[in-house]
Amino acid sequence: MNRLTTAAVAALMTLAGGAAWADYPERPITMIVAYSAGGGTDIAARTLAPFIEKHLGDGASIVVLNRPGASGEIGFAELAKANPDGYTIGFINTPNVVTIPIQRDARYTLEGIQAVANVVTDPGAFSVLPQSEFKTLDELVEYAKANPGKVTYGTTGLGSDDHLAARAFEKEAGIKLTHVPFSGNADVRAAALGGHIMLCNMNISETVADAEEGALIPLGQMAESRWDEAADVPTFREQGYDVISGSQRGIGAPVGLPDDVLGKLQAAVKAAVEDPEFQARAAEQKLALDYKDAAAFTADLEAMHATYSQLWDEEPWAQN
Amino acid sequence: MLDTLHQIVAALPALMTVPVVLSMLLGTAVGIAVGALPGLSATMGIAVLIPLTFTMEPLAALGMMAGIYNGAMYGGSIPAILLRIPGTPAGVATVFDGYPMAQKGQGRLALRISLASSAIGSAVSAVALLLLAPPLAMVALKFSPANYFWLAIFGLMTIAVLLSGNPVKGLLAACLGLVIGCIGVDPITGVERFAFNQLDLLSGIDIVVLLTGLYAIPPAIDLAINPPKLGTEARQLDGRPEGFRWSQLVPVWVKASVIGVVTGIIPALGGNVAALFAWNEQRRGDPDKAKYGQGAPEGVAAPECANNADTAATLIPALTLGIPGSAVAAVMLGAMLVHGLIPGPQLFRDNADVTYGFMLSMLITAGMMYVLGTVGAKAFIYVLRMPARLLSPMIMLMSVIGVYAIHNSLFEVWLMLGFGLLGFLMEKLDIPTAPTVLAVILGPMAEDALRRTLLISGGDAGALFSGAISWILIALLAVSTCLPLLKRLRSRRTGARAGA
Repeated sequence: MNRLTTAAVAALMTLAGGAAWADYPERPITMIVAYSAGGGTDIAARTLAPFIEKHLGDGASIVVLNRPGASGEIGFAELAKANPDGYTIGFINTPNVVTIPIQRDARYTLEGIQAVANVVTDPGAFSVLPQSEFKTLDELVEYAKANPGKVTYGTTGLGSDDHLAARAFEKEAGIKLTHVPFSGNADVRAAALGGHIMLCNMNISETVADAEEGALIPLGQMAESRWDEAADVPTFREQGYDVISGSQRGIGAPVGLPDDVLGKLQAAVKAAVEDPEFQARAAEQKLALDYKDAAAFTADLEAMHATYSQLWDEEPWAQN
Repeated sequence: MLDTLHQIVAALPALMTVPVVLSMLLGTAVGIAVGALPGLSATMGIAVLIPLTFTMEPLAALGMMAGIYNGAMYGGSIPAILLRIPGTPAGVATVFDGYPMAQKGQGRLALRISLASSAIGSAVSAVALLLLAPPLAMVALKFSPANYFWLAIFGLMTIAVLLSGNPVKGLLAACLGLVIGCIGVDPITGVERFAFNQLDLLSGIDIVVLLTGLYAIPPAIDLAINPPKLGTEARQLDGRPEGFRWSQLVPVWVKASVIGVVTGIIPALGGNVAALFAWNEQRRGDPDKAKYGQGAPEGVAAPECANNADTAATLIPALTLGIPGSAVAAVMLGAMLVHGLIPGPQLFRDNADVTYGFMLSMLITAGMMYVLGTVGAKAFIYVLRMPARLLSPMIMLMSVIGVYAIHNSLFEVWLMLGFGLLGFLMEKLDIPTAPTVLAVILGPMAEDALRRTLLISGGDAGALFSGAISWILIALLAVSTCLPLLKRLRSRRTGARAGA
């Protein structure tokens, strides 16, 4: 009798276990956003979530949970320590998700996070006011060589993709610029438009509206190839400076996700990003969509980890 | 100008549809409620609402947000007056005179003054936004880090007024605020300050957490320890100060509206600073200083008018330049983005209907707020008659829920309760809490601005003294510091002469 019960329970459990993955998702999925409600990542996440639901099918539902703080560390840590059952996923943002464990003793490791799919890649860019003394990267380098340390550039903060990209550019061109960190994108823009800083480092999607108005002149974008919405802005590589940088936003999960769940999620994100209705919404928000599957996104993160670790060892971008 | 008027008229019909009017009405009601509950703020109300507006038409969504924004600024004054708990950061200055008025049995009048002042402030601000947005926007860009530094110092100067009778205790409170403002990652070097390796402290302390702790918890503890035996005076509710006439508030409204609009346009200063500036300026300009803090109607009118005059003005740089002057404006920009409205000059060109409609809705919701507030005030006032054993746990509960909702963080709930105990102790020791709040807001601003100025100038302190705006601010600082001293000197001299 006893053995029978055990067998029955075991059989039931196997059945239930197998069924759980086959019918995934059976209950609501939590999507952690490591930034405040109403911010850029939050809005992108909330715009994307219904489309992932749609393509997961079977009445799937996704609940967005904001866990902001410590530049994203609180949210990333919660994602990494969640149960790897596919019911907790999250938005991960580069370079933060990569740089936080490099620059401090963080509560998560990059290895603890399974990349699912990349959604957005927003290349970095340099821009200047129309009355600036330099209007191309070459002129900037020439000016900076003649006036070392005189060129001030504003970014959204220490260790931001803008800051790290400027570091890489300084190294590449052999010049010295002066970094002025601000607390947000809007502050950088205000300081640049008001002429209080000489060089404005914002991502290209944040620069295009001002460029169209003629308020700012983009010197270049740090993409491998030009972004569709800024097709007339040359890349850094085209101008002879090998700097590729940007901020990526994608979906991540705790490591140890069952293969078929990862496959399902990845396929749903891909279908969502390719959904014409979502693409129309993304265009309104100037999201630079760039779908990459788990393998490619993982490769990106690993490459970034190698680059930034080296950069940190050579010359840390923040004191600690 | 004519062109602008034409645009405004053209935008009207779209606003006057049933869904848009209903959503503005709903927004205003939600705003008043959100403002009145401690721990909940306009920023949070709007942020929570954004996902719900995805499917709405843009004007209905924006109208609702306009209502929340305006309503919350007024709503914050209700508990400030009745319970000395500011519902939002912008309500701190309203406590100074609002609560004493309620204690003297003039609660109903204080609420009406607050409502009228809020509505007038909102209306002035909306008109400024509608007519002057593009030219005023340029002012915002002119502010350099050096100007921000002087502005923050000027703001910190107002602490001197809040020192009450005991400057040592007041300065102690201000220093506490400066220290709290230092917590988190130093934005210029990345060094962790006073974070004690606590992840939750790395982003610094949220002003709403501090404020709810310092202002909502101590009154709740007080209510629980010794339930007030309301005198017949406070129960009477309908009292009026002797010789009060509404007309005496007109000059107050003029002054406070200007302060609110100007503060709103300058990014980084919010309604809380506007209200403190206005209260301070009102007291400074009045020959009878002694009545402030004792329940002066002008002391309620000035901050309430200013914090509402800040609302639409904050949207001036936000809409025209895409530069949000406050957290609320930043969240609203996010919501606009969802509806495909990209802030900047092109907004006024490509989406004129929606943009002018939105700006008009700031004006219309100011009117709705007045109507809803008048109806509601009849009910709000009975909070004073609620038994303390019911009110105290309710305040505690709402504070906990409100603070948890900011970042879904239990740590911040404990932090808030800790600040609550601290605030309770400070009250018992007669240490004022307002200087702490002001220092937390302005201290980091002064520090960041100073260090940015020095980074840009390559360490040359002379950069602080260049430019017309800096000199105007320095002159204002000098005048407001020296004038009271000179006055005292002169009065002492004449006094000495009279004595001889």
